[in-house]
Amino acid sequence: MPDDALGRPFGVPVRREPVLPNGVLGMLIFVATEIMFFSGLISAFVIGKSNAVGGWPPPGQPRLPVEETAINTAALLASGLALYFANRAFRKDSPNTKRLLGLAIALGGFFVLFQGAEWVALIGEGLTVTSGQLGGYFYLLVGTHALHVVAGFIILLYTYQKLSHHNLDRFTFWPAQIFWYFVVGVWPILYWQVYL
Amino acid sequence: MPLMIRVARATVAAAVLALSSAANLAYACPSCASPLEENRQAFVDTTIFLTVVPLMMMGGFIWWLRRKLRARDEMPEIAVPESLLRDAGRFSKGR
Repeated sequence: MPDDALGRPFGVPVRREPVLPNGVLGMLIFVATEIMFFSGLISAFVIGKSNAVGGWPPPGQPRLPVEETAINTAALLASGLALYFANRAFRKDSPNTKRLLGLAIALGGFFVLFQGAEWVALIGEGLTVTSGQLGGYFYLLVGTHALHVVAGFIILLYTYQKLSHHNLDRFTFWPAQIFWYFVVGVWPILYWQVYL
Repeated sequence: MPLMIRVARATVAAAVLALSSAANLAYACPSCASPLEENRQAFVDTTIFLTVVPLMMMGGFIWWLRRKLRARDEMPEIAVPESLLRDAGRFSKGR
């Protein structure tokens, strides 16, 4: 059989890698809708804040724990960083992948627990969904994000379990990463808008 | 271009023009009546934000996809051995 310029036999079908795996495309579309969802919530909050009589935060309402949440923000950002390095290790087939993925999950878990404790303290101080504009917006915005963190945490646990059984492939790992990067990326914006 | 298609396009264009001339001013500006300057500015800022974000996302995705496709087209295709394709069933290319 004659060969072509690259030395391949003519007539043999070729197979190409897809530009974008289905799972990644699906997750990207989902994250795009999530970005718009959070953009809507943040916009509503910004307008509500600007319309508040007596300034913001409203007088007589508990103050949000800015410094403590800064530590929690750092933990979530570190979790995103750990996941990035876990992916790099995964591509090199390095044994560090498991350790780094475990670290990312642990930091994500720390964030959820810390926020839970923060909520308990704030409810104790009288900040509830019905206590005023601050409470309503706070629990809506931060609560929606917390739900996403929990979902991302479960997805990362699933990838960790697959990695432990040596059947994690990049088509599963990529979408999980995209979702976690979104959860990590949207938090500093919420922190800046809601807490500062 | 066939005459029917040209007539249809001209009809649609004329209808759009007629509708646009019939439209009246929409008094739906939520921030126009606000006495607070900060509130008016917040409406403007969030309108810009909510307009730009989806455009940036779609534009960024199309730009990224174009780059990927160009890079893929420049790469040589990988020939798959006949022995592998034999087991690929009805999903194998060219069968």
